[in-house]
Amino acid sequence: MAKTPETAKKAPSKAASKPAKAKTAKAGDAKSGGAKGKSAAPAETPSRKVAAGVGTAPGVDAQALGGELAELRRRQPRFRGLEAGHRACQGCGEALGARLVMEAAGPDVMVANATGCLEVFTTPWPQSAWRVPWIHSLFENAAAVASGMEAALKARGHRTKVMAFGGDGSTFDIGFQALSGMLERTHNVLYVCFDNEAYMNTGIQRSSSTPHAAATTTSPAGSQRMGKRHLKKDLLQIIAAHHVPYAASASVAYAADLRRKVRRAIEIEGPTFLLLHVPCPLGWGHDGAKTIEIARLAVQTGLFPVVELERNELAGVMPIRQPRPVSDYLKLQNRFRHLFGNDHRARQEREHLQALADHNIATYHLLGEEPDPLDTEGADTVRRGGLIA
Amino acid sequence: MPVLTRGAYAEPGTSLAFKTGDWRTMRPVHKHWAAPCHGACPAGEDAQEWLARFQEGHPREAWETIAHINPLPAVTGRICPHPCETACNRTHYDSPIAIHALERWLGDQAILNNWSFPGAQGVAEPAAVAVVGAGPGGLSCAYQLARRGHKVTLIDALPEPGGLLRSAIPMTRLPRDVLDAEIGRILDLGITFKPHTRLGDEADLARLRQEHRAVFLAPGIGLAKNWSVGGQVPTDHRPALELLKEFIAHGKVPTPASVIIHGGGNTAVDLARVMKRAGVAEVHLVTASGLPGPDTEPGDILNVVPRELHEAIEEGIIFHPHRTIQRLLMRGSKLMGIEMVSLRKLPGASGRKSRVAFEGTETILHADMVIPAIGENVDPTGFEALLGGAPYFRPADEWGRLPGHPDLFVGGDARGDRGTAAGAIGDGRKAAEAIDLFLAGQEPVHQRRPTLPYDHLNMAYYEPAPRREPPVLPVEQRTDSDEIEGPLPDAEARAEANRCLSCGSCLACDNCWTYCPDNAVIKTIEQAQDGSHYVFDYEYCKGCGMCATECPCGYIVMEEDH
Repeated sequence: MAKTPETAKKAPSKAASKPAKAKTAKAGDAKSGGAKGKSAAPAETPSRKVAAGVGTAPGVDAQALGGELAELRRRQPRFRGLEAGHRACQGCGEALGARLVMEAAGPDVMVANATGCLEVFTTPWPQSAWRVPWIHSLFENAAAVASGMEAALKARGHRTKVMAFGGDGSTFDIGFQALSGMLERTHNVLYVCFDNEAYMNTGIQRSSSTPHAAATTTSPAGSQRMGKRHLKKDLLQIIAAHHVPYAASASVAYAADLRRKVRRAIEIEGPTFLLLHVPCPLGWGHDGAKTIEIARLAVQTGLFPVVELERNELAGVMPIRQPRPVSDYLKLQNRFRHLFGNDHRARQEREHLQALADHNIATYHLLGEEPDPLDTEGADTVRRGGLIA
Repeated sequence: MPVLTRGAYAEPGTSLAFKTGDWRTMRPVHKHWAAPCHGACPAGEDAQEWLARFQEGHPREAWETIAHINPLPAVTGRICPHPCETACNRTHYDSPIAIHALERWLGDQAILNNWSFPGAQGVAEPAAVAVVGAGPGGLSCAYQLARRGHKVTLIDALPEPGGLLRSAIPMTRLPRDVLDAEIGRILDLGITFKPHTRLGDEADLARLRQEHRAVFLAPGIGLAKNWSVGGQVPTDHRPALELLKEFIAHGKVPTPASVIIHGGGNTAVDLARVMKRAGVAEVHLVTASGLPGPDTEPGDILNVVPRELHEAIEEGIIFHPHRTIQRLLMRGSKLMGIEMVSLRKLPGASGRKSRVAFEGTETILHADMVIPAIGENVDPTGFEALLGGAPYFRPADEWGRLPGHPDLFVGGDARGDRGTAAGAIGDGRKAAEAIDLFLAGQEPVHQRRPTLPYDHLNMAYYEPAPRREPPVLPVEQRTDSDEIEGPLPDAEARAEANRCLSCGSCLACDNCWTYCPDNAVIKTIEQAQDGSHYVFDYEYCKGCGMCATECPCGYIVMEEDH
């Protein structure tokens, strides 16, 4: 099965003889990044991997694939809009979220990205992990840039969908007026907010999306305060109040639900909005292996309601089959560690968060009446041979 | 000028030049565990594996997977005490998979559709091998040898093959047409079957060894253990197995007004139910083991097929668990009743468990007859020197090899540490493998995968689903001839197979592929040669461990990466 070193080593020379094509996005680093182009991966593939030899442990065949790896990567039956090699932390929920959004969106899109982790870890100069046209301008203006892109494409008769990506900082706080303007002018743009509930890129400062009682570097837990004093801004309702055709929340823990929502939002002509809950192992203080587990618990406790709003009307919710106590979610994260001390305020804040979760469940009617294939337990049930999506 | 339908396009992600695999300290690897059902099966079946074929919609492949290990699935599906279901990880979640019912369903399908056994790799030099005893162990060994191309002679003292399956299992548990069909299919492989052939003395065995290059001994246990209560024995007492065999052969059992059966195995329960149906008003069963319940340790439960026990209680058999007979109440040579006493198996000073009777718990039970069902020993006729006075053979290993006799292999009930048809089938298969290797001058290799513990499963990806129970005849409709437990309907069987969690084996659910933030899981059926559909792309895998956490079936584990 293993390729011989000879076969594998052909890859670099072949790649080198191919002139690099750099017809690419407007992204600042794309030109030099593009110069490496397709040749980059195969060039480095064989030398290291063939030397590593045939994999010995069961299931480590990739070691032995050598030059075939690049070909296998290309042949994956999904669109790899966000490629490997990006610099996200281990277990990054945002990287996973962006990957899933790109897969569902497909290749015929353009992206305007606000400043934030996603922008930083995907495009370290001179490389880019994106396989679609992608632009970063500033922290506050992703929605404004996307508006302009959409207007330009419209003027030139193209139907390529424009997407705007931002973190919670650039969406809830800094880029909020630009977003509001984009929605008000009814641009045909899908805005995806990757909500990891603080300014992670700059050092975990609280944002208006940080949940109540979470500790960040600017809302530390101590003798004066039990983490953030204020509540998480209910952005989805604010977006919905713009009377947009579609605004929804989703979680990386429910990939099938997320893909469906992206496809639905892309089909709609007009401004659409997706709030995607993405745990941050570094900022939230949890094991990177538990990213999905924590995201799932956020939904199952009711702290992060997964809902769809059309023209400001509730159009659908992911019902919770059996609500979990919020402490199941909180105790896995260091940002809530102070809620499990002996301090009497710890108990009060835990109860407060439980009351907030219960409030979400009541407001959005999240409690399922009977087991449902699309509820919090049915939506990710596996079958031999793949998810039922 | 060509018009692009797309607004623009981009070059492939150039970040691929940056190999994030360098960050890794731990790496994910596939680990093929044994499902607990596999570890628990005395025959060595991997239920998880054949359930997987069933889930894929290939019942014939599922049956063939069983048939590689066990040529009698329609039989074992009916009579096995299914330790696989007791071990099933789904027990911790809702209720175990009805493995026995599915095995039976597949076995019945094979008979109905006349499926033939899957092929096996033949040997270069076929050898003559003799198998003594045509019970499940002998049949299994003969089957495994014959499909490898050896010339097998199978001898049995009785006129028909099947051993205890035919002579001692009531038709209500095992219809004889099912038994005949499965045995017939084995003998059709070209096995020479010699009925009415008993090893009369040691010269017979010596001749057998001369004529054959290896001999598998599975004579079973035909000699009832000596039974007495403090030296007392009712003059007319007869052992339970003898009565049960007589009933199956001639349809007659004694019908006293009340009877006490002493013992707690399948023979005791089968006979109790037969006598109850024959009209015995009171059938008592006195056993030192306990009924399943909170005050019985798992190892101390009656060694009976659980559903048979349930049915026996339904039919009105009176159980006296944790009791033994301390004294027989006799009037002359006639039995009037017994004195029972409570006892438990408790560790003594040396730590070994022994039975401790509790003074002051004696009770009197009146009955007209007492029947011992305390087990049997190997009939030593023909094996006197080999047995050396012991009640059973004591082979050195799981292959059944006897020290000092490289051409002799022993299995089944004659080992003394077995007691189920499935155990005998496992012995037969392992002995056949060892014989095959012995004939080629090789040693058998012990292969065992570790068993997947329940906490290695990610149950978030499964949903509760009720266990499908096969239909059971109501008590008033039960007879001596009709099978009590019916087959699962086809749709129910498929639904039940889908409940399998696939412990320790790849489900091909795409979770690892879906949830890797670094695109470092590659989906490929051709290149993944370990039974999964995926390979890890270690050039980019950062070792976060998300795939291992989100793998529903525990198939991915993280290991140190140097």
